[in-house]
Amino acid sequence: MSTINLKRLLSKKKLIPLIKNIASLYKEGVTIRASDGTLIFEAGEGARPVEYPLTLGDETLGVVCGGEKTAEIIDLLNYIISSEYEKKTLAKETLDKYKEITLLSDLGERITACLNKRQVAELIIEEIRKAIKFDGISVMYLNRDTGMLQILASSNQAYFSIALGAGIAGSVASKGKGEIVNDVSSDPRFIPGPNPMSSIMCVPLKINDRVIGVINVHSVLPHVYSAKSLKLLATIAAPAAIAIENARLYEDMRETFLATIQTLAATIEKRDTYTTGHTERVSDYSLAIGKSIGLTDSQLDKLKLASILHDIGKIGVKDTILLKKGKLTDEEFAEMKKHAEYGHEILSPIAQLKEILDGVKFHHERYDGKGYPDGLKGDEISMEARIIAIADSYDAMTSDRPYRKGLTTEKAKEELARCSGTQFDPEIVEIFLKNSAHKGRQG
Amino acid sequence: MPQILIVDDEPLIRMLLEQTLEELEDEGVEIITAENGEEALSIIRDKNPQLVFLDIMMPKMNGFEVCNKVKNELKIEGIYIVMLTAKGQEFDIDKGKCVGADIYMTKPFDPDAIVAKAREVLGL
Repeated sequence: MSTINLKRLLSKKKLIPLIKNIASLYKEGVTIRASDGTLIFEAGEGARPVEYPLTLGDETLGVVCGGEKTAEIIDLLNYIISSEYEKKTLAKETLDKYKEITLLSDLGERITACLNKRQVAELIIEEIRKAIKFDGISVMYLNRDTGMLQILASSNQAYFSIALGAGIAGSVASKGKGEIVNDVSSDPRFIPGPNPMSSIMCVPLKINDRVIGVINVHSVLPHVYSAKSLKLLATIAAPAAIAIENARLYEDMRETFLATIQTLAATIEKRDTYTTGHTERVSDYSLAIGKSIGLTDSQLDKLKLASILHDIGKIGVKDTILLKKGKLTDEEFAEMKKHAEYGHEILSPIAQLKEILDGVKFHHERYDGKGYPDGLKGDEISMEARIIAIADSYDAMTSDRPYRKGLTTEKAKEELARCSGTQFDPEIVEIFLKNSAHKGRQG
Repeated sequence: MPQILIVDDEPLIRMLLEQTLEELEDEGVEIITAENGEEALSIIRDKNPQLVFLDIMMPKMNGFEVCNKVKNELKIEGIYIVMLTAKGQEFDIDKGKCVGADIYMTKPFDPDAIVAKAREVLGL
């Protein structure tokens, strides 16, 4: 099938009137037919004894019938045809490049919003689906500690974790170069799995020449992938690698941050061993309450940080008071109460913790306004603080102290119910009691 | 014979759109191109294409003006206008409604979306 439609070409370029004019100059009759015989153009009078083929490479697109002088315009027509063909080829290639640009543009926009490796991998799969045909696809991340390529996301169960260097994926990961294997049965590296595959394309995900993973696509048919498809996959792999690495860095940073916060909280427990485990328990109870209320992930995050750091201010309270075995005098108690404000002071220089300051400062406020440090009432107290207050008290009640044993779960719950509306937010207490009815005593 | 008009001052975009719609030419659709608003209006009056891909940012007469003229002044019927806007430029939806644009698409355009829209409008 000719890629150039002769009729379309001649009519588009307004060549027909021009040829007419030339033909009339020569005073010869001219007929142009396409290779399938359709008449494209006819003009002038006279015999048309000679047939001049219009060719493109080996292909004959049509024929011009005319007199001897018509020979003059054949070269011109042939030239125009090959010129058009070149233009068409360029146009096709440009369109392909344009499609690549569109793909990368779409990918770039969506990917920057993701800070989770798995999400990024799923997005990459969605975008590749638009550009490349496959029966299966997977995005793998290299765990440098274990030397294993683990699946971040995949379209089906055909893929499984693989060691660096093993199989085609492992080989690509260690060499750092993309490959097409159009018939896996003839490749000794191939490790068969539960699903059939015949053609494979695998490209590495690289950051500055360091391989962080691979993208695999496969088809059940052989000889499906070409150099062009590999190039397209490699083009997508570049921004994909950056996005995955970005997500990884963010996850690492989050982990470090959280670990540091927890270490900070642990410093208090070292000084006052009676409260060992207290922070962790209060945090667990607070999060359980938060989840039952239906807080969003970001709100739960805030709650977690606030609950871990709620007693950090105790570091400012003198040992003689903090570690005193007996009951505190009024003066001593006044000093102890300051730990709420101290916590706030200690954390306020940290910009990233701005949103949890209220949770730390007000976890001893009372619903009825008779708490400390500021005597806030009801909804004036931030939600994190109201939750932590309950979790904190519950743990205090159920823990053993030097001067008294801990209450049983039932007694502690009774106490919460009794103080509901006065010390504690009644709605939250209700939810806590309802929820803990399902569980036994924790820890 | 169904006709599609492509209006854009950039020759590359005209060529890419033409190439994208090539498959429709085999189905009997005629593709016409215009470099500016004036040329576009003259072709529209003359040939009455059913579908027009109209670039917004053009010198002398921009896409909004052309669309306005066709839909509101000349009140030409049976013509579907797709406005092409550059990514990063907020498409003024109200203005689009005012001048009677039927839909807008951003550049870089999605070749599949262009063909799909053309098929939809021309009923192919």
